[in-house]
Amino acid sequence: MQITQPMAENAEHRRENLFVRIVRRLADSRELTLFVLVIALALAMSIVYPNNFPTASNMRAVLLNLAPVGILVCGMMLLMIGGTFDLSVGSTLAFSGVWAAVVAGWWGWPAEVAVLVGILVGALCGLVNGLIVTRIGINALIATLGTLTIYRSLTYVTAGTGVTPITDAFAEYGRAADPLLRIQSPFWAMLVLVLVGGWLVARTRFFRQFYFIGGNPRAAQLSGIRVDRLILIGFVIMGALAGLAGVLGAARLNSAVVNAGVGIELKVITATVLGGASLKGGEGTILGGILGVLFIALIENAMIINAIGVFWQGLVVGLVLLFAVSLDRFKTSGRA
Amino acid sequence: MAPRLEIKGLSKFFPGVRALDDVSMSVEGGEIRALLGENGAGKSTLGKIVAGVYSRNKGSILVDGAETADLDEKAAGDLGIGIVHQEGSLVPQLSVAENIFAGRQPTQWLGQVDVRAMRDRARVLIAQLGVAIDPALKVSTLSPAQSQIVEIAKALSRDLRILILDEPTAALTLTETEKLFDVVRRLAANGVSVIYVSHRLAEIFALCHSVTVLKDGRLAGTRSVTETSTDELIRLMVGRDVHFSRAAAGRKIGDIVLEAENVDAPPLVRSASITVRSGEIVCLAGLIGSGRSEFCEAIFGARRRRGGSIRIGSKPIDPRGPWDGKHAGIGMVPEDRKAAGLFLGMDIVNNVAATVLSKVSSGANFSNRKAEALAKNFVNELRIATPSVRQIVGNLSGGNQQKVLLAKWLAMEPRLLIVDEPTRGVDVGARSEIYRLLRALADKGVALLVVSSDLPEVLALADRIVVMAEGRTVGELPGDGASEEQVLRLATRYTASVAEVRKEPGMAEA
Ligand SMILES: Nc1ncnc2c1ncn2[C@@H]1O[C@H](COP(=O)(O)OP(=O)(O)OP(=O)(O)O)[C@@H](O)[C@H]1O
Ligand SMILES: [Mg+2]
Repeated sequence: MQITQPMAENAEHRRENLFVRIVRRLADSRELTLFVLVIALALAMSIVYPNNFPTASNMRAVLLNLAPVGILVCGMMLLMIGGTFDLSVGSTLAFSGVWAAVVAGWWGWPAEVAVLVGILVGALCGLVNGLIVTRIGINALIATLGTLTIYRSLTYVTAGTGVTPITDAFAEYGRAADPLLRIQSPFWAMLVLVLVGGWLVARTRFFRQFYFIGGNPRAAQLSGIRVDRLILIGFVIMGALAGLAGVLGAARLNSAVVNAGVGIELKVITATVLGGASLKGGEGTILGGILGVLFIALIENAMIINAIGVFWQGLVVGLVLLFAVSLDRFKTSGRA
Repeated sequence: MAPRLEIKGLSKFFPGVRALDDVSMSVEGGEIRALLGENGAGKSTLGKIVAGVYSRNKGSILVDGAETADLDEKAAGDLGIGIVHQEGSLVPQLSVAENIFAGRQPTQWLGQVDVRAMRDRARVLIAQLGVAIDPALKVSTLSPAQSQIVEIAKALSRDLRILILDEPTAALTLTETEKLFDVVRRLAANGVSVIYVSHRLAEIFALCHSVTVLKDGRLAGTRSVTETSTDELIRLMVGRDVHFSRAAAGRKIGDIVLEAENVDAPPLVRSASITVRSGEIVCLAGLIGSGRSEFCEAIFGARRRRGGSIRIGSKPIDPRGPWDGKHAGIGMVPEDRKAAGLFLGMDIVNNVAATVLSKVSSGANFSNRKAEALAKNFVNELRIATPSVRQIVGNLSGGNQQKVLLAKWLAMEPRLLIVDEPTRGVDVGARSEIYRLLRALADKGVALLVVSSDLPEVLALADRIVVMAEGRTVGELPGDGASEEQVLRLATRYTASVAEVRKEPGMAEA
């Protein structure tokens, strides 16, 4: 083997035109690709809709609306890095929200306790998912597809048509806004989670183990990594995050809706894959995931401003997803 | 008449790597041609191009004088070019028979797959290699050796004009190797051209007519085996002399590190005992299926143990998983580097860091800088041929992957290092380096337990040889002065009952 200068003396590579080289460079970092796309999209929208897009109230609405998906993406990214995923997040979200509302609204317990109960219920749902996957050994797709319907059904059983209103003290948890930008708490919660989670997953030794598990579970096991225990922890984290999203959502509306989060799992997984996760595992960052969320949020916003029916939204998001994933073919590090 | 296979000016580039550079060679019908070279010399790349797996950047390939322009895997198959890949190409979820006839299953009425005919034919193909494997088994349940046999059977299932064997014997023991040689000779007698890649020089002299040596992707020379010598081939390949003599026995052997007694881990380990002292290299020899790897896994915690005791430095341990073994100071380099050893999609840095996450961290933080420094150290020390430590391990040549795997466990600085087949697919130069390295570890006081099917390797390395048969440790020899015959005699003393074990489908060779 001779180590040459990258691409040097290589007729085929030299013939590559500028366009292919740019695509290749972009494809090497999904975060960069997305970042460029998000900026480009935001600029384009500012130019096309100067009166609607770059306004404070629109920005506030966009950021607030993406909060639940953003919170869930942190957990989903972790699971997908570890080579698994959770379809039950939407149901967990609703179930946790409803329980927090029952505790605060029906039982009259303090709001703090209700928030904690909600998050705990979510973590418990995650624990059950994790145990089914790691102890019984049922494949995550089937296991969480099962709990998706089970948790939703338990939500209906618990609260019938929902809990409305809850209490003002509880609602304050989802409505408190900062004095400067006046964005409500779900966004700030998401921001903190993304920053902290992003740092944890990118930097810490503990979370790095998920990359190894996703890369090759058997080799990870034989390297002394406790694969099952970590996957279980991943599911609990995912559940707790879904619980938090559910609590904040219920608080913001001062109403726990039994249909909250229906279908959100697909949106979350789309954003996660867009953000650089692969179904095989071992890849992805939280930064990428949140950029994926941002990108989808901008597209949705453009549709709303343009008054294009929601029906078209899925088409555009789907196309973008396929486009982003097909970029992988250009990766320089890929196999020949 | 045109030669069967003619390669002219073949070049292949990967990003940052010139894998083949203007290589020309030609092989006649019925000729068995060895392809030799260091790890990363381009042997597998050449084989894959001829078999249509990779496209070439330059050069031409002629089969029976006819130019092959767009050679893909299908076209190569239709031309009668078969290949046994070094790294395995079977689908683990499918059965042995389905793998052998992938896409060409015999059919009956309305295109239904004729399962019975398919299995019968698979059984015959496998039987000519002297092994019994149930064609209905899933490939994922096979041992590496069994999978290798299936790979070979798959290549033999076609009408062949050219057969490429890329290190087919790396996972095989002597008996199966000889069966394979018989088959190859028979094919050659029928006019098939064979390209045979191996790092075992003895095999080349036993089997091949001629040998082509690659060095750094270039042609270093072609010789007829009758006109060359081991020394000349090594010089062509490595550019210097390499020796494998036993090291002088000046090492200080210390206290007992591992003491395993009557370990029982059914079905493959029945009652195995071993002691390894600090500074000692103990080799575990035996036939395929004798339970050597499984015994090691039980010690490490990677396999459930039903009985027996294990002590590390007089402290009893009960490893419930590899993490417990690791915690007790045991490292284990597994036999199957692709499935169990490496993170093929990750770079060298992360592979090396996998066992020592705490060592390459500052506090809770993973330190890329520390991990990179560690990886660079090993790349230099083990002479891993790679453009950078950030290279994806799946893109390295087989031998260099093996070195990364070793580095991964050396990084952990174990008290007891178990190495299952340390030099599988490693070239002569690197092999002597690995031996040197293992000896240096022992000199530092590490206890080494080495499983090897390569008897010369066992004899070159071992301070003590423990032989296993049928899941039991059946004998022990001093490393100094032992002969291959002695080891083999111990390993096969129980052949009568081995035949019995073989009746259990799938168990025999595992
Ligand atoms: N898909 C790939 N992408 C990038 N580089 C590659 C790829 N395949 C092979 N290489 C590089 O090309 C060179 C030749 O590799 P090849 O596998 O042909 O070596 P080899 O002679 O078969 O070695 P070994 O004896 O270790 O199997 C190596 O440096 C390897 O890293
Ligand atoms: Mg090779």
